[in-house]
Amino acid sequence: MVDTEVDRIEHWAGGHHAAIAGWRKVMMWWFIVTDGLLFAGFLASYGYARVLAFHWPPQAEVFSLKYIAAMTFVLITSSATMASAVQDAKHGRRGGALKYVLLTALGGLAFLGMQAYEWTHLIGEGARLTHNPWGDASFGAYFFLLTGFHGTHVLTGVIILLTTAVRLSKGITKEEGVEMAGLYWHFVDLVWVFIFTLFYLL
Amino acid sequence: MRTYWITWSVLLVFTVVMLWADSASLPRQAFVVFMLIAMLTKASIIGANFMHLKGERVQLILTVVVGLLVTGAVLYVLIAPDAVRIHHMVEIYGPR
Repeated sequence: MVDTEVDRIEHWAGGHHAAIAGWRKVMMWWFIVTDGLLFAGFLASYGYARVLAFHWPPQAEVFSLKYIAAMTFVLITSSATMASAVQDAKHGRRGGALKYVLLTALGGLAFLGMQAYEWTHLIGEGARLTHNPWGDASFGAYFFLLTGFHGTHVLTGVIILLTTAVRLSKGITKEEGVEMAGLYWHFVDLVWVFIFTLFYLL
Repeated sequence: MRTYWITWSVLLVFTVVMLWADSASLPRQAFVVFMLIAMLTKASIIGANFMHLKGERVQLILTVVVGLLVTGAVLYVLIAPDAVRIHHMVEIYGPR
């Protein structure tokens, strides 16, 4: 019941704890859901292309799956370090949180470096958006689309992590800021699980 | 902290098993089903443990899960008829 002007403002101010969670967390989750749908759309479109393709190149002939597995290892490891950073931040261990955030950013940079190498290698072998030497023309387009969008997310994640690290070292970013950066980073890892399985393995 | 590194090990084991399945000559249908189950399990593990959905309030979990399910269902309803039609077209006319 709204009794006073102050109560009215409080009542309509947009609750601080929607779904009994801070508004930042709820918004971050909604961002993750909607961004996930973007990738779902890409992957569904890729599924169409696969079904329609006359000859989809066997992935083992195009990629070094051991190399892709190493990229996956780097990303999974960076997720573990990120979770550790969130844990340390929650317990007020700023030094530990900072160390793990920086390690996570390092993992992200390593992943980006590996992806850059993979792109350079495939472009050198003739992979283009419009054609490629291995099979269906859309193979190259979907490779660059899926890994490119994911890579852009990783790059964004690294920037967020480095910003978080600087702010954390100055005491500006608190526990919730680290948690939000963590949620985004795990989402990037989550998307890779789908790309790794659907594009590289199936 | 220990939970996260156990989660990391489990994810790693899943990845290795998936790579093994890729090199083993499993029947195509079994291979696809196995890969999809492994993929969804990995995704659930990341969501539950790394993203802490497991420990969140049920309201937030429902917000995320119901949101994903409803939008997923809408996408499915919109896409599935065309996907089936494409299969029929490929059967009748051959690949593109």
